[in-house]
Amino acid sequence: MKGLIVKDLLLIKENWKQLLIFVLIFIVIGLEGNQILTFVPVFLSLMVLLSTFSYDDYNKWNSYAVTLPNGRKNIVRAKYIASICLSAFAILFTYLLITISGMMNHHLNLEETAVTLLGCWSAVVLLQSFMYPLIFKVGLEKGRIFLFVFFIGVSALLGLVFQNIKISLPVEVISFLNHYLVIILPFVMIILLYISYKISEKIVQKKEF
Amino acid sequence: MNAIEIKGLVKKYDDKFQLGKLDLTIPKGVIVGLIGENGAGKTTLLKAILNIIHIDSGTIKINGEDNKKEEKKENIGVVLDNMFFPEILTAKDIELAMRGMFKKWDTQVYYNYLKEFELPLDKPIKALSKGMRKKLEIITALSHHPDILILDEATSGLDPVVRNEILDIFLNFIQDENHTIILSTHITSDLEHVADKIVFIDQGKIVLDQDRDELIDHYGILKCDPSQMEQVKKEDYLCYKKNKYDVEFLVADRDKTRKKYPNSVVDKVTLEELMLLMIKGVK
Repeated sequence: MKGLIVKDLLLIKENWKQLLIFVLIFIVIGLEGNQILTFVPVFLSLMVLLSTFSYDDYNKWNSYAVTLPNGRKNIVRAKYIASICLSAFAILFTYLLITISGMMNHHLNLEETAVTLLGCWSAVVLLQSFMYPLIFKVGLEKGRIFLFVFFIGVSALLGLVFQNIKISLPVEVISFLNHYLVIILPFVMIILLYISYKISEKIVQKKEF
Repeated sequence: MNAIEIKGLVKKYDDKFQLGKLDLTIPKGVIVGLIGENGAGKTTLLKAILNIIHIDSGTIKINGEDNKKEEKKENIGVVLDNMFFPEILTAKDIELAMRGMFKKWDTQVYYNYLKEFELPLDKPIKALSKGMRKKLEIITALSHHPDILILDEATSGLDPVVRNEILDIFLNFIQDENHTIILSTHITSDLEHVADKIVFIDQGKIVLDQDRDELIDHYGILKCDPSQMEQVKKEDYLCYKKNKYDVEFLVADRDKTRKKYPNSVVDKVTLEELMLLMIKGVK
């Protein structure tokens, strides 16, 4: 599995010039105290990993990878571990940058930053959890279309539901969420990612390349 | 113990194509040439052996173990047709990645091969010629000391010089009597030089499984005028093909045929002729 992660990192490394420019722009804007870009590195980590799927598809890499020892298991495991590592790195990087920027601009609110980053990370994990099984099943190109249709569909459905039915949550629930969402969310996301991993594993086990 | 044992293998693709039912035993220490038309089932068979596709029924054993035992793939080297590392990576990158994939990966062996075949370390795969790319794939397949090499069209589309170099690698590999190569190709002349055993697949079935020496030394083509074809008895040939000016009969025993039909020409058969006769011929 280590080899598969190394392969993905090497693929990412090949685009280091574009990434470096992006990171430099991000650092300049970030250090000026603009927090709009808090979400950028985390989402960038997702995009970067998705590009490795694209290279894999183009060169029919997975057909070759399943012939390697424990290939089927490792294909999935490597992608999930690489994703976790990359997003963790992106979060740490953003956190560090925001801390430095806050110290420079005398406007340091680490708690708020942590909550914002948690939100960003959760959004990325949510996307990954849906995307990866789909990509393993139908490939990146089709997977993207499916996912797009899926999210539009769900949004439209929820929009319709909330427009027609007035749902008001009890005050206790809102107060509970206000206090504990920050603690619950990471666990929910980890469980979601784990379920997604297990589904991907099953898909790849059954898949023919 | 045999290198590969296949029993009752069946793989169906809709109603259009079915591989098998087939049995095949490949002993250790041989080069097996898998021949057949495009779409005959060669790649499907190799993919089934490698568990890239799932078979509908039957068993496949590699070195006596079920081919689904993924950890056993440590002993197999693979070259597939147009399936390899992403082409923006270099030979150096491949080494770094493969180090983490095989316990027995041998960096020194890999670098020695690269030097021997004058392959660049830092050029991306996409910048390499087809021959260089194929050599890189073969070198990668050899550098973890496998004892079985499975190669799908590893010599197709290459010029004779590169093909010769690659065949030399195979002959060198097979010096160890525990080593085995299964090589699918439609360039049958390559197999005449290196293969010990020929397996011919047609429409998903094995129609011939024979030692190369047996084929070269005993099989033959009886050629005669169309007006004489009635004289050749059915039990003396395997199949025949009518051409514009003559009729060709594939025979299993050249010497016997020569004695029986002294007025006809009975030549040695090349694998290409054999393939053509068996596909296009009438039984």
